Amino acid sequence: MINGNDSINEAFRKAKSKKVYIEGNFVKLLKNSLDEDVVAYIEECKSKDKQARRKRLDVTKQVQEQNKELAEAAVIKEALVLELQNEKDEAERLRDEAVEDLDIMQKRTQFELIGLIVKVALIIIIGVGVTTTLLYTIAMLANKDTTILGNAWSNLFGILLTNSFSIIGTIMGVKYATEKTN
Amino acid sequence: MIDSILLVDDEDLFHLVFEDACSLLDMTLSLEALNSSDEADRLFKKWFEDGPVEERPECVFVDLNIIGSSFDGIELIRKINTDYGNGVVIGIISSSDDNQEIDKAKEVGAQFWIIKSDEIEPRLEEFLKDYDSYVEKKAPFKVYK
Repeated sequence: MINGNDSINEAFRKAKSKKVYIEGNFVKLLKNSLDEDVVAYIEECKSKDKQARRKRLDVTKQVQEQNKELAEAAVIKEALVLELQNEKDEAERLRDEAVEDLDIMQKRTQFELIGLIVKVALIIIIGVGVTTTLLYTIAMLANKDTTILGNAWSNLFGILLTNSFSIIGTIMGVKYATEKTN
Repeated sequence: MIDSILLVDDEDLFHLVFEDACSLLDMTLSLEALNSSDEADRLFKKWFEDGPVEERPECVFVDLNIIGSSFDGIELIRKINTDYGNGVVIGIISSSDDNQEIDKAKEVGAQFWIIKSDEIEPRLEEFLKDYDSYVEKKAPFKVYK
């Protein structure tokens, strides 16, 4: 072991025999000694230090490069997440619009059906009313017995009128309810 | 060879890169690295108030954007040059090559701008060649690309 009584040359020789090499900036402070073996040792120390530095520098640069790549990948990932979120929002918006359109279409079909029912009902009502009235008029003009036909006409007319108002009331009610929902 | 260098940069990994590059180029005997401009500011203030001290570095490399600091590298250079007596070779070491920032650095008295990249050694080698003229304040501002 190196002790306080050793000269610098002796200390270096001892270090060399144990294969211990000085590292770091301390090596740069060493001046060449007169002893050749010590000079060789110092040169070896410097060479080993440079090799170690080069190795560490290469590794550090590699790590730095990987860190940079990771940071870039994180940015790309964040952008992709944002893009996906936007696309999801857009898909949800389109779905809501489609549901709304479907609802409107269903309502329109219902209205068209109601309109058709009303039309047919009115044709039947008017048709029956006109036919009965014609029959009754002809029977009166021909001096035929109109007792049964008269009762039937008045009953029928009453029923038809009641039904007409009922249909109109239903239509108005549906219309009012639909307008309120929209 | 430069006796002592101070590096102010928030990236620890770059401290290692810079230290090894300097060592391989036999650029300096001692290198100290700090993470924040506030810390560097405190040290320079202390050295300025205490008078000429040996700890004061000969050359200072400052990063442009130092995350976690109250002010950037340009402001640190301004403080060192105007508030703390100058007397050091000082410049920016940054990955940025923004001309506006380079002009600002020049205005506050930075002597050089070294662009950080994977191959920092050739730039430092070139800087080392110009170093003496920076000490004598003869060299014009230079960007090492």
